[in-house]
Amino acid sequence: MLEVEGLDVFYGDFQVLWGVSLTVGAGEVVAILGPNGSGKSTVLKAIMGLTPAKRGRITFEGNDLRRVPTHGMVDLGISMVLERRRLFGAMSVQENVLLGAYRCRDAAEIRRRREWVESLFPIIGERRNQEAGRLSGGEQQMVAIARSLMSKPRLLLMDEPFLGLAPRIVQQIGEIIRKVHGEGISVVFNEQNVQLSFGLSDRGYLLEGGRVVLSGTGEDMLSSDVVRRVYLGG
Amino acid sequence: MSIFIEQIINGIIIGSMYALIGSGIALIYGTMRVLNLAHGEFYMLGGYIVFFLVVTYAVPAYLAIPIAILAIFLLGLLVQRLTIAYLLPREEWAFATIAATLGLSIFLQNLALLLFGEQFQSIPYYLSGVVEIAGLRLPQQRLLMLVVAIVTIAIMTFVLAKTRFGWALRATSQDKDAAAVVGIPAARIYTLTFGIAAALGCVAAAMLAPIYAVNPWMGLPVLFKGFVVVILGGLGSFPGAIVGGILLGIVEAVGVQVTSSEWRDVIAFGLMILVIWVRPWGLFGKPQ
Repeated sequence: MLEVEGLDVFYGDFQVLWGVSLTVGAGEVVAILGPNGSGKSTVLKAIMGLTPAKRGRITFEGNDLRRVPTHGMVDLGISMVLERRRLFGAMSVQENVLLGAYRCRDAAEIRRRREWVESLFPIIGERRNQEAGRLSGGEQQMVAIARSLMSKPRLLLMDEPFLGLAPRIVQQIGEIIRKVHGEGISVVFNEQNVQLSFGLSDRGYLLEGGRVVLSGTGEDMLSSDVVRRVYLGG
Repeated sequence: MSIFIEQIINGIIIGSMYALIGSGIALIYGTMRVLNLAHGEFYMLGGYIVFFLVVTYAVPAYLAIPIAILAIFLLGLLVQRLTIAYLLPREEWAFATIAATLGLSIFLQNLALLLFGEQFQSIPYYLSGVVEIAGLRLPQQRLLMLVVAIVTIAIMTFVLAKTRFGWALRATSQDKDAAAVVGIPAARIYTLTFGIAAALGCVAAAMLAPIYAVNPWMGLPVLFKGFVVVILGGLGSFPGAIVGGILLGIVEAVGVQVTSSEWRDVIAFGLMILVIWVRPWGLFGKPQ
């Protein structure tokens, strides 16, 4: 459903992505792997239009995403959980969640979606009126995922969903990714930790210095020397 | 003693006007991080529209003022579209918008001078009676200013807290990217916010014009007072600007009472410098 081909991205004069290509099929969970600074986040930001692409093709179900502004992505069925949650900290949990359905003007539909995300994340209902900025990191991540689900996406991009979370919370968020997948939503997430990623994903792409150096299933990749070289510099 | 209380009440009334001007500057800064140096000129043009409608065309004030507010709102949308919206996506937007709004301010002042002349024009009071409450004599005109300010601030508070646009505005000012991801078109929010801010300035102009005078330069001192207000309240905070405006009005009124009226601006800017010195994030902002 998502195809990226020959993606080049620059920050100023500095090229950060070099001809990155990847695909995500319907109902797949795909991991983007790589060490710090390898361009993982930039791939997701470029798909979403948050960082302009210089060259390359990005299509989603036949739509040319490079022509779609970021705020139009939810209309196509793409949503994103930004790095470090990025909640509207001064607003309540409920306001954050409802803003996820900003483009939906049907009150009954919004209520159905809210009940759906509350069933996935009971914490949303419990903390409804609390200021989002005062929640713990793990709780914020749940609200951020709930907010992104409120647009009823078919593809969810998650930028560093495990960053800065305690191991116990990482496990919880992993469970949630499985749940989201179980709802028939395709997921692309990025993460440094290879072991963790393949516990959750069908396939992965390994980035190094802004290039895809390896792709395949977890088994393929874990047995590859490339992974060891990239991470250990061996 | 009753003169002292009257002065405080007058301070609150003038302060509520400062609040309207400051809250416009704060809304624009809070959402698009632009310091609108042409804010005073929307105030000035609002004053002229009211003057022409009320004095030249004898339109009753209760019709003239809403027409002026609507006109300045539309002008705000247009100006934002033609200048700020065009500059914001650029890398050098921070300086570009300051230069552009400064240029716009000078342009509009001189345009007004060319079109309307340099005479100071006056607008008669909308209400001429005096009300006596508990031994205090208050001109109805001043009470009207207070009522208009309270109604305007109440409407704005409702819009920000309860409407879809208000939520989108608050979300965009907190995190532009996160707002875009949920589907909020920041560009449209910016344009509307600018129009609303200009309209708030026009409300203040309509109410202050009968007390001061309408002239091409009337926006400048008001812009400076607006800056004092947003620095007191914390840059970009709407409630901060409201409280900051009223506080400034009271401090000025009391200060002038114990010194003399030449000291008004010294007191205002002294207060601003004091706040920058001890609490640079404003009385209601948070340190960063």
